[in-house]
Amino acid sequence: MTFVVPVGPQHPMLKEPEFFRFEVKGEEIVGVDIRLGYAHRGIEEALSRRSYKHNVYLCERICGICNVVHSTTYCQTVEQLAGVEPPERAKYIRAILMELERIHSHLLWLGVAAHQIGFNTLFMLAWRDREYVMDLRELISGGRVHSAMNTIGGVRRDVRSEHVPTMLRGLDKLEQSARYYTDLWGSDRTILARCTNVGVLSKDDAIKFCAVGPLARASDVKVDIRKDDPYGAYGALSFNVITEQEGDVWAKGMVRLREILESIKIVRQALKELPSGPVRTPVELKIPPNETVERTEAPRGELIYYIRSNGTDTPERVRVRTPTYGNFASMKSMFAGGTVAEIPIVMWSIDPCFGCNDRITLVDSHTGKARVVSFDELRRWKK
Amino acid sequence: MMEVLSFFFNSLVFPGLLFASLIGLLYAGIDRKVTGHMQHRIGPPIWQEYLDVGKLMGKEDITPSAAQSLVFNVAPLIALGAVTTVMLLLPVNSAQPALTAVADLIVIIYLLNIPAICLMLGGYSSGGPFGSVGAARYVVQLFSYEFVFILAIIAVIARVGSLDLTAVVGYQAQRGWLILDLRLIPALIAMIISAQGKLMRVPFDIPEAETEIVHGALTEYSGPKLAIWRIVYNIETLVVAGFIAALFLGGPVAYTIGGFQIPGVADFLIKTLIIVLITTILRNIMARLRIDQALKFYWTFAAFLAVLSLMLVLVVP
Amino acid sequence: MPRILPQVLRNLFRKPFTVKYPYVKVEPPEGYRGRLAINKERCIRCWLCIHTCPARAISVDKETKRPSIWLGRCTFCGECAEVCPTKAITMTKEFEYTTLYEK
Repeated sequence: MTFVVPVGPQHPMLKEPEFFRFEVKGEEIVGVDIRLGYAHRGIEEALSRRSYKHNVYLCERICGICNVVHSTTYCQTVEQLAGVEPPERAKYIRAILMELERIHSHLLWLGVAAHQIGFNTLFMLAWRDREYVMDLRELISGGRVHSAMNTIGGVRRDVRSEHVPTMLRGLDKLEQSARYYTDLWGSDRTILARCTNVGVLSKDDAIKFCAVGPLARASDVKVDIRKDDPYGAYGALSFNVITEQEGDVWAKGMVRLREILESIKIVRQALKELPSGPVRTPVELKIPPNETVERTEAPRGELIYYIRSNGTDTPERVRVRTPTYGNFASMKSMFAGGTVAEIPIVMWSIDPCFGCNDRITLVDSHTGKARVVSFDELRRWKK
Repeated sequence: MMEVLSFFFNSLVFPGLLFASLIGLLYAGIDRKVTGHMQHRIGPPIWQEYLDVGKLMGKEDITPSAAQSLVFNVAPLIALGAVTTVMLLLPVNSAQPALTAVADLIVIIYLLNIPAICLMLGGYSSGGPFGSVGAARYVVQLFSYEFVFILAIIAVIARVGSLDLTAVVGYQAQRGWLILDLRLIPALIAMIISAQGKLMRVPFDIPEAETEIVHGALTEYSGPKLAIWRIVYNIETLVVAGFIAALFLGGPVAYTIGGFQIPGVADFLIKTLIIVLITTILRNIMARLRIDQALKFYWTFAAFLAVLSLMLVLVVP
Repeated sequence: MPRILPQVLRNLFRKPFTVKYPYVKVEPPEGYRGRLAINKERCIRCWLCIHTCPARAISVDKETKRPSIWLGRCTFCGECAEVCPTKAITMTKEFEYTTLYEK
């Protein structure tokens, strides 16, 4: 006898609303149906109705956790359209902020992953140490979460030299705790029992389903946009692309934890080699008709922005492909043959961010039909 | 007349319902506070559990329309009755329990299973998928820990040579605590592991795993009925700790220090608190296992410990 | 032996990491983007802040004829403080405030 375990739209496992319908035989999963679209906000349409400059702040709000990488990608795309090059110092500051964001996102992932397997102590400790990196972000940007640092043509604030020692001290603390968690993740027997050989994504499947980011790197696919297609200051910074062989949840966690250490290294190097000079160049924001694509490595994987300009100060079309969207396809093969107990940790292993993911299509859950909703229609519903 | 009054006093006030629930809720508060400090945060105040239960008591009583309402409503009450009865059978103030029965170890084992069965019935009758999955998991878990639990008790019985809990406590008063007997150490470890499963604490909180199946069998419960379940759960914690204390730590002993007569109940509280704190530490250093892993763990490692202890007791003089 | 055990036992005897917030205050660092303050005397009514605000949170106050900020919509990006020619709008370090949903 199979029965349905509904997961979502509200469920303690999910941090954001999304609906997963698991068909379960006893404890074994026999089928999964994913319905997306609960967190749709009409952002892409809104982006094409605001000026380039205002859009920086809207792009930041596509995702709260990876806000810097969203605004950086947007700014890079517009800079490419407008044909300007940001100053070197701005590129380094962007890299510092993006790496701090990666550390913060991966520590957040570790905490929630620990909670998903019932390890609440590790959850609390990981989030405690996440406070250090939040403090560093607050120190250089003035905001704990939304940094509001990027602008088209550079960054809005400079990293002051008196902040550098504080930052280095904070990084030391972070490195110490990241090493501790890497050790713990690799040696604690209950973590190993819950995470090894669970939600395995083989290398072939990872390539076939176009997995991106840590998910692909855990399956031994060496993709990292920072290395493959260097942008900003990453061409000048030295770091390793972390890969693991196994492809299970444990490997995905290990990739993220080891990336924290790499990111700390990158921030240290960037702070040391920070070039002097201005932090922003003036840009004329009347962009002739053109189109461009830019991609960056967000904490969750490859992030793509496509912008088409039409000669005015607003873009005609902005399309955002978030990493979570790229990873959803691999989900089914990860769930196949698993048990109910594996659902939370396997789902969390792709580090889903539904707020990023749901932007344009609305799926009617009664008829199963997908249709595109215009911004005006959404506004009317809101009222 | 006196006997009837004393029976009512025993079952309702001391060591029955009132005493057990007050101490049980206090222990739950201590458990939460210590957990908070272990996780490097402040944690709730110690009396938080009283506030929670009091608040739940004042809420609206809801029975889901999909539920089998009779079973759903009666299950927590039967569980409460069962754990309170165990409290009467435990030596709390002195070696003599409030209620004496012949061969009471078997009665206690039986009564300790009733809350588990009520939980399953409540889960199955609640009409929700999470309740059913939680109950199904609890059945599996019951079959895993119960074997080890009983084997560990049999090891003690074989050592003492009596099925009577009073006799076990009396034996320890004369010959020293059973924990000091090296042959019974594996049995004690097995006992604590199975208590962890019985009390649904990490790593064996599988039937109520929050991120997987919301709250397992208790998902549909709310208001006063959930409050009763909380009291049942907390009394069960106290009862299992008291049972282990009676079996291995010599039960309640009345001391006289400098002319002051310290009643046995103080000793009982200290010993049970130590056992509760051990389970608190255990639940904070591990991740939750999967149900198949828990089953395997109990039937291999924990069962091995219990059997080893039994063998040692029977073979080594 | 679980690897986290020493850490857990050490935490038991350490001061909790949590700050008891309303009683103990943590001062935000210099340059924190908190509540906006408008110096009405310095305002020259150029309305640059209104044009630059991405959230359209600034409007003209009908009585005083000076800009007023609706904090319910403000995203604290600080563009207005940056663009103001007379530095009439500044960002304070204050972060404790509430605002109504209605304007």
